[in-house]
Amino acid sequence: MPRDPLLRAWAALVGLGLASTVVAALHWPPGWAAPAGALILVLAWLKARVILSRYLGLHAAPFWRRGFETALGLFCLLLLAFHLASAV
Amino acid sequence: MSDASVFDELPGDLMIWVLIVSELLVFGAGLAAFLAVRITDPAGFAAAQDALYRTGAGVNTMVLVTSGALAAWALRLCEAGRRMRARAALAAAAALGVVFMVVKVREYAGKAAEGIAWDTHPFFTFYYLLTGFHAAHVVAGVIVLLLVAWKDAVPNIEAGTAFWHMVDLVWVLLFPVIYLLR
Repeated sequence: MPRDPLLRAWAALVGLGLASTVVAALHWPPGWAAPAGALILVLAWLKARVILSRYLGLHAAPFWRRGFETALGLFCLLLLAFHLASAV
Repeated sequence: MSDASVFDELPGDLMIWVLIVSELLVFGAGLAAFLAVRITDPAGFAAAQDALYRTGAGVNTMVLVTSGALAAWALRLCEAGRRMRARAALAAAAALGVVFMVVKVREYAGKAAEGIAWDTHPFFTFYYLLTGFHAAHVVAGVIVLLLVAWKDAVPNIEAGTAFWHMVDLVWVLLFPVIYLLR
């Protein structure tokens, strides 16, 4: 892994973006759409965390980093609830 | 007694954070509404989603996160007094924003050629509304990046690149919800 935090953040974002696309492209067996969707949303939340922390500089503002991460985490949970509701 | 406020912790200008939160709320409401409406017709939404060009959108994710890294790097270079390199990094970040728009326009042109419009299905109403509004922010972001490359004081670059990272942040939430979730 690169030592520069910015380069590490970029590598993480590229890796997480590829992982999301691969998860979506896989042919999941019936009944697995819900966990696959949950995984895609977790990956989206992780990407958002990296952008907030390293691109927007919130790594230096822990109070705000935690606040944004929590709010976005709750938002992703809301999206997951809607996703699960349409999967049943 | 200290005058230090928790707002002082925030990097950059407070107003850019007000803008970032406002934009997140607007796009967040749009994405939540999209998934809420999908509950009424999951099969129709899945069929409509199959018409999307996922590879192009995936490439655009790489383009935008790379552009974001260049913008963040530009701020660091400017803070270190390396103005010409900072300007070059901002120009490169803006150029990648143009690449994003070229892919996006090709995507829209492909949909138009297939006869898919905003009123073809509710999926496409949300698709055009959310991706179109985001694309408008990309265009604005490219202009802002070029503007702060010209007027390259550190506070300008800090505010301009924060706007660009907000565009990036919205995309990493919008892309999986519109293009990937099934």
